[in-house]
Amino acid sequence: MTASTELVASVEIAHEARIERVPSGAADGPVLRVIPGDAVRVAVLLGRDPQLARAMAFGALAGGASLVGLVGTHDGRSFLERAELLRDAHPDLVVALAPDRRDADGIVELAEALRFGCADQHPLPHILVAADERIRDRLAASCRANTIEALPDVRLPAGREALVARLRAVRRRAQGDVVLRDEALEAAARAMAVDAKADVVVLDVTGGATSVIHARPDGVVLGFHERLGVGAAADRVVARAGLDRVRRWMPRAVEAPALLERVFNRARWPDAIPASVLALSLEMALAREAIAHALSDAERAGASLEAAWAAPLVVLTGRLAQLPRAAQSLLVAIDVFGATGPTLISRAPGDALVAAGALAARGRVATLPTIDPIAIVAEMWPRRSAAVRVKDENGVVEERVARGSFLLVRTKGVVEIEMPRTTVRPRADHLELGVVIDARGRPLALPPRDAERIPTLARWYAALDVLPAETR
Amino acid sequence: MSWRYSRWSADHPLPIGASERALEGQEVRAGDVLAAGTTYGTPVRVAGARRVGIAPDDLARVMRVPVGGGVERRTVIARTGRRFARAVSSPIAGRLIHQRADGDLYVAPVVGRWVVRSTLDGEVSRSDDGCVTVMGSAWALQGIAAYGPDAIGEIALAVDTPTAELHPSRIDVRMQGRILIGGARATAESITRSHACGVAAIVAGAAPAGGLRVVYGDEATASGATTGPEAPTVLCLIGFGTAPLPRAVFAPLAALVGARAAVHTASARLFVFAPESAGDFAHSAPSLALADDWLGARPMDEHLALAGVTRFASEIEAEAVSTADGPVPVANVLAFDAPRTPQT
Repeated sequence: MTASTELVASVEIAHEARIERVPSGAADGPVLRVIPGDAVRVAVLLGRDPQLARAMAFGALAGGASLVGLVGTHDGRSFLERAELLRDAHPDLVVALAPDRRDADGIVELAEALRFGCADQHPLPHILVAADERIRDRLAASCRANTIEALPDVRLPAGREALVARLRAVRRRAQGDVVLRDEALEAAARAMAVDAKADVVVLDVTGGATSVIHARPDGVVLGFHERLGVGAAADRVVARAGLDRVRRWMPRAVEAPALLERVFNRARWPDAIPASVLALSLEMALAREAIAHALSDAERAGASLEAAWAAPLVVLTGRLAQLPRAAQSLLVAIDVFGATGPTLISRAPGDALVAAGALAARGRVATLPTIDPIAIVAEMWPRRSAAVRVKDENGVVEERVARGSFLLVRTKGVVEIEMPRTTVRPRADHLELGVVIDARGRPLALPPRDAERIPTLARWYAALDVLPAETR
Repeated sequence: MSWRYSRWSADHPLPIGASERALEGQEVRAGDVLAAGTTYGTPVRVAGARRVGIAPDDLARVMRVPVGGGVERRTVIARTGRRFARAVSSPIAGRLIHQRADGDLYVAPVVGRWVVRSTLDGEVSRSDDGCVTVMGSAWALQGIAAYGPDAIGEIALAVDTPTAELHPSRIDVRMQGRILIGGARATAESITRSHACGVAAIVAGAAPAGGLRVVYGDEATASGATTGPEAPTVLCLIGFGTAPLPRAVFAPLAALVGARAAVHTASARLFVFAPESAGDFAHSAPSLALADDWLGARPMDEHLALAGVTRFASEIEAEAVSTADGPVPVANVLAFDAPRTPQT
């Protein structure tokens, strides 16, 4: 994007309990608000095609909604079980997917269960129906009190886009003219990709949500937004991943019950700051699992992440970008985002990038803020020891890399890397840390026992100088 | 403000199968039955309108048993004609639970019963098959999370000081039906023992998160857990781990010993049914500080002084307030009644 003389509104960005304004200071002129958006609970009535559940999961991830109940025409549940499931789910929105005409009777049966279970819910959920007109009419007859809306087939891009637009409208609810944080980030990612003429991945972790956004230089953006985070949704990360998966990232021995208490306290303490190193390590551990689950859910929903893994630019935002040391943001990102090629990892501390994205999402022209390049990460898994040459203002450094190596080559000024078996020579004008050579292999293998796991983690932490000295 | 005497509203969601409900406008007391109903077994679908040969919309006109009504086996549910009669009869004993849009009916056997009791003294403001809402005046204390079913009982102190831990040895069967006030921490052992002794609920500054997961399962989150009536009830007022109660919170609890009270788990509130003049309880409680390692929370001094931007052990630089134990980030200090969920 280019600089513009157009009057740019100030942007207010809502966090868990506070609001930041960009530019800071008193509001001068119109204010655009960026909010995380309400949690939208979506129940789904599924026809027989097994692709429908994946397509719906894809749409829900892209729209930042939570799937709270899936009932299928062939799930073997009784009428009452379906009704109880839907009643307990308390959905804000119901999506009925029956593209096959043979699903007509089954989907009407599910609609009857919905009416039986949720007839007294206030407000009644709207029903989005992706089915032909006759099935839609039968559904409308079964659920006369609910508002019925037509939806294109969600297995197709047009249907998914319509679903995402509808989900976002529900998430905005009666908030007036607001931009959702994930919308803003998608717009920012698109602008960066167009600007850089390269694929860009944005990893955003906040207290209540995690986003993984892949933008292509042709303007196509694919975003996955999950209600997992390092703050208010920290307990959801533990519920999803399990406490042991969070604990495995802690670089020191911590008892599981005490760790759970910390997670629960953080979840109920909006915008709390990790004042101790242990709390900071926990925040980093939660961020890893939140990103890992967002990625695995996207893959499970049928999204192809090959292009994202190969993106040459990764930008970190949110709490992930606000960790005190750049090495902390970097380590979290590379531990869970296994790029397949050399990647320049940057971070955008503060809210300037979100603000620029919000303006872009509203069609305003804004200047993208500068982002801080942290490091070029060269991931490799060499069969035998290989040489990597790093050239910067100080000269050339050659590192021998064997499997399991994990090291940082600090650099100054313009950096260029020569790697084995590739003609690509990643280059950067300036890096906060330098070049990270990561030959740990993917997926990362963390030993289960503390006695082996902690020294392994300590070695990785030490390689990047992640934590203050006294805690190593 | 920690304690407040005000007019409150308490929602009581109903399971499927309500057969009787309090009427809107009806006066109720905490503990009164608001709704009763039945739990159903696997329902049976019965041909309705097409069996008697009428349009689905006309079925209600010829039904002899209303939806929700009880039926015996072979009870005639609907009938048309005189000499050449057509009838729908129930294949099983149970309840007619639902009429489909196409005129078919569902009959389900009754396998159990449930009741939902009020957690407020007041008036029913909404009553339908989904929820009964009661509005009434009471002293109330807002907690951060509650676990288990709603509970009603008399307040009883189980600790001597607001900083004490609730020990299982302080709990016995004489406390049956009481709402026990713990101090800084209610351990998992004290929760299970109190449940075994028939205690209605435990109210404490904090409870161990791991212990809560042992008692309520892995579904228990920091927001609470709603369960069936067979589980114990726990209300955490401040946090998890250890959290001593401020004097402004504990002293009224001590003064209200013996008063009728209720824990409404959905809103994580303790309601105490004492007159507004019962005491001068509505004082502002001191702020609460989250521990640096997030392992608990504690009440702070009444007068806080800003320490300016401070660099903490984690190397985060943030505005801080000074305390006897060192600086605390301003973000980690909250008023007792501050919202604990993200604002949108």
